Amino acid sequence: MTVTEDRPGTFIRPDGKEKVTGLGRYTADIDLTGQAHAAFRFADHPHARITRIDTRAARAIPGVYAVVTHEDVPENLYGGMIQDRLLFAKDTVRWEGDVVAGVAARTQAIAREAAAAIEVEYDVLPALPDFVANAEPGAPLVHPDWSSYDGDEDMGREGNVVGHSTIVKGDADAAMATADVVVTSRFVADASQGAPIEPRAILAQWNGDRVTVWTSTQVPFAARDGVAHTLGIPQSHVRVIVPLLGGGFGSKCDFHFEAHVASLAQAAGRPVKLVFSRREEFLAPDHRREGMVLEFETGATKDGHLVARRATLHLDKGAYTGEGGFFAQMAAMHACGPYELDNVAVRAMLTYSTNQPSSSIRAPTAPQACWALEQHMDQVAGALDMDPVELRRRTLIRQGSHGPTGQVFDEIGMLDTLEAAAEMIGYGQELPDDEAIGVACGWWPSMASPSGAYVKLNGDGTGTIVTGAQECGTGAVMALPILAAEQLGMRPDDFSILYQDTDAGPWDMGASGSQTTFNNGRAVVAAAQEVRAQLLQLAAEKLEIDPADLELVDGSVRAVGAPSTSVTIADLAGTGTPLLGKGSGDLPENPPTDIPSACVGRLGLDSFLAPQLITHAARVKVDRETGVVRVLAFAAAHDSGVIVNKIGADGQVYGGVMMGIGQALSEATYFDEEGRQRNPGLLDYKLQTASDGPRIDVRWIEVDTPNAGPKGSKGVGEPPSVPTSGAIGNAIAKVVGRHVTQLPMTAERVWTTLQGQEDEQ
Amino acid sequence: MSTDITLTVNGESYPLSVDAHASLLQTVRSQVGLTGSKEGCDDSECGACMMLIDGRPVNSCSYLAVQADGAEITTVEGLAEGPELSTLQRTFLEKGGVQCGFCTPGMLVSATALLRDNPAPSDDEIRIALSGNLCRCTGYDGIVAAVAAAAEQG
Repeated sequence: MTVTEDRPGTFIRPDGKEKVTGLGRYTADIDLTGQAHAAFRFADHPHARITRIDTRAARAIPGVYAVVTHEDVPENLYGGMIQDRLLFAKDTVRWEGDVVAGVAARTQAIAREAAAAIEVEYDVLPALPDFVANAEPGAPLVHPDWSSYDGDEDMGREGNVVGHSTIVKGDADAAMATADVVVTSRFVADASQGAPIEPRAILAQWNGDRVTVWTSTQVPFAARDGVAHTLGIPQSHVRVIVPLLGGGFGSKCDFHFEAHVASLAQAAGRPVKLVFSRREEFLAPDHRREGMVLEFETGATKDGHLVARRATLHLDKGAYTGEGGFFAQMAAMHACGPYELDNVAVRAMLTYSTNQPSSSIRAPTAPQACWALEQHMDQVAGALDMDPVELRRRTLIRQGSHGPTGQVFDEIGMLDTLEAAAEMIGYGQELPDDEAIGVACGWWPSMASPSGAYVKLNGDGTGTIVTGAQECGTGAVMALPILAAEQLGMRPDDFSILYQDTDAGPWDMGASGSQTTFNNGRAVVAAAQEVRAQLLQLAAEKLEIDPADLELVDGSVRAVGAPSTSVTIADLAGTGTPLLGKGSGDLPENPPTDIPSACVGRLGLDSFLAPQLITHAARVKVDRETGVVRVLAFAAAHDSGVIVNKIGADGQVYGGVMMGIGQALSEATYFDEEGRQRNPGLLDYKLQTASDGPRIDVRWIEVDTPNAGPKGSKGVGEPPSVPTSGAIGNAIAKVVGRHVTQLPMTAERVWTTLQGQEDEQ
Repeated sequence: MSTDITLTVNGESYPLSVDAHASLLQTVRSQVGLTGSKEGCDDSECGACMMLIDGRPVNSCSYLAVQADGAEITTVEGLAEGPELSTLQRTFLEKGGVQCGFCTPGMLVSATALLRDNPAPSDDEIRIALSGNLCRCTGYDGIVAAVAAAAEQG
């Protein structure tokens, strides 16, 4: 185990120069000759039956080229895990962002005018925003036809409950009765948003019966497959190209509006471009972080052993499922956390409502569940009169531990992250009485997914990586050349990358699930190894030396021990002999578990492959007069295995922690009683600014992890947001004297908690 | 109704006919054809559209093109010194100040104005000066380090 130091020779991101000069093109920067502009007519009520749609007035407006409704596209239900949605609402709208119609017009202003001129009549239905009530048997149904939908059969669906997952291990009731202390807690987390700075844009152009879609998606293959499925055309007729992507954080995962725009372009007979306003970027995507209600009960012995955990979690799915159907099981895992637990009874329900759909936002379900669990753990420590770090020291998973589902862990750095974060923040130091330090721990799986890549060499000895991988600021453009270069004795900046084009690279899951380096890195290494073998063979023939006695160093193939006997890669590649490799690598398998097979909602997440392990520590200052919290210092210690590209990995932590601070203190989407967003703008949805944030100290606990990604690496991108709000919450509680039980912990909520404490005195 | 104006953008003069309600951002992106300045909110909340107008950093989404008639405008495309990156552009890359890059044009414009007015800012002064520019990727650490490094290099 080593700790990463600054490494010399980190190379500049290949897409960097175009980004700092302003010459790089994002989707909204691209125009095509003759293009029309798109606008949508969204639902006028969060829940209503549509009785009439009349587009004649809209079509009559000069400059309108096309109006498209459900009548103009195939009636193909879609959805990643349950097919419960149509492109254009037909009979029912189920949230305020449901798309009823689309317009293509000469200008965006005309398109918006025409969208407003479409006559839509409704029978308004009662909104169903209360996802806890919706989980009750007999509750009114958001989808009365739910049982007819195609979808994953293992989700435990019933009525409004889209996903029902349980973890039952040992005998929690009997064990709870033996505990020295039993602590119960209840927490409520509001919804929040990915909020990338780039609002999404889509541009579609048909060439005969084939369509090219330029789009700001994190998952180009999911977008392509969605267009093909909903429009009823072959995947080979859809080419998705992603220009530079201005951030996503999960909100641009899944298939969204590409087919809406493609159908408009087909109807208009010209290219059509959609660019969302910031308000639309808040309201329309079926992707935001889920609201949750969490109840915990933990029994512990005096010596700090956790004997039992019971928990019930409710999660708001919103109107449609998308790819977020796994949230119940993921949340159940995070209700256990990275702790040794022998007796567990956890139940999580993911339930439809008529709110904006939730789906993957950076580490879906984990920040809220971790925030609640880690505050609950501090409450357990308080009941035991034990230091919270000491309680974690005694209970966190380590090598050989049996986790909450019986997974037995290989070498992991969980405890090292705890000790590192405590040391970095100066845990135990004397502080003014309005300041305190809080600590929280968390985990997140690495995700094994098929992936593929090609590597080819050019005649001058440089290389090109052709990959299905997607870059959204995450650093794939750095990690992949680093891995290829290491295999071939070349430099990372010897490589160009052809990516973000579904007609070029092999299928890849996209910039999601912290998976690009983990899976596509494996594919690039495998492809580069094929090229390496070809180079060695060519060099062996030329130098008349056995390939086993050759090595690739500094752009040459040379004899081991006799470096002057060599041939350059450029000489070998310049002969015209194709030097071309393809690869996907062997997929690591999830570790086994021992929870009973009767547990429901098992979607493959009951063990965590190559778990990413995190401890965050925050020093905060609380203004007792106003409830305003400021984070003064922040320490982040992570085990993400071996770090492939430090500048990229550091950036993920800085950004993830700042996102976590926002979610801790200021970021929430507030719904009114009918499920309409009350704050769909950046003034009222408060991202953290440069002047809000502390300097963030990062330390990597590098464990050469078996059964993991390239070089013993794990994922990196999602964990930095996981324990952030828990650490801040525990720090606030030390100043305030009790935990704030609602997320975000806004000044008002902190102040109210302070008053409650004073009321009790 | 259209109005004839002249915008001077990065030293080039552009005679234009613009709608009275057109923003400077829309006009520079669509009529001048420089798309480096981004629209993130159209409401002065994110700073991705920031330009220098007669040297002053302004959210160009909330500034009318007709107001800029005759003004000297600098966008991100005007920051490089010929083929050479400016010091700030280089340090943004070296220090991890660029990830998705969508906020980068506004950040660079804002930071350029800061260093012109305050060549040796403290970290706190950098953070306050950039607090009108939202970034979701970097957590601001790499950006603050980049501005500090550029100040040091002069």
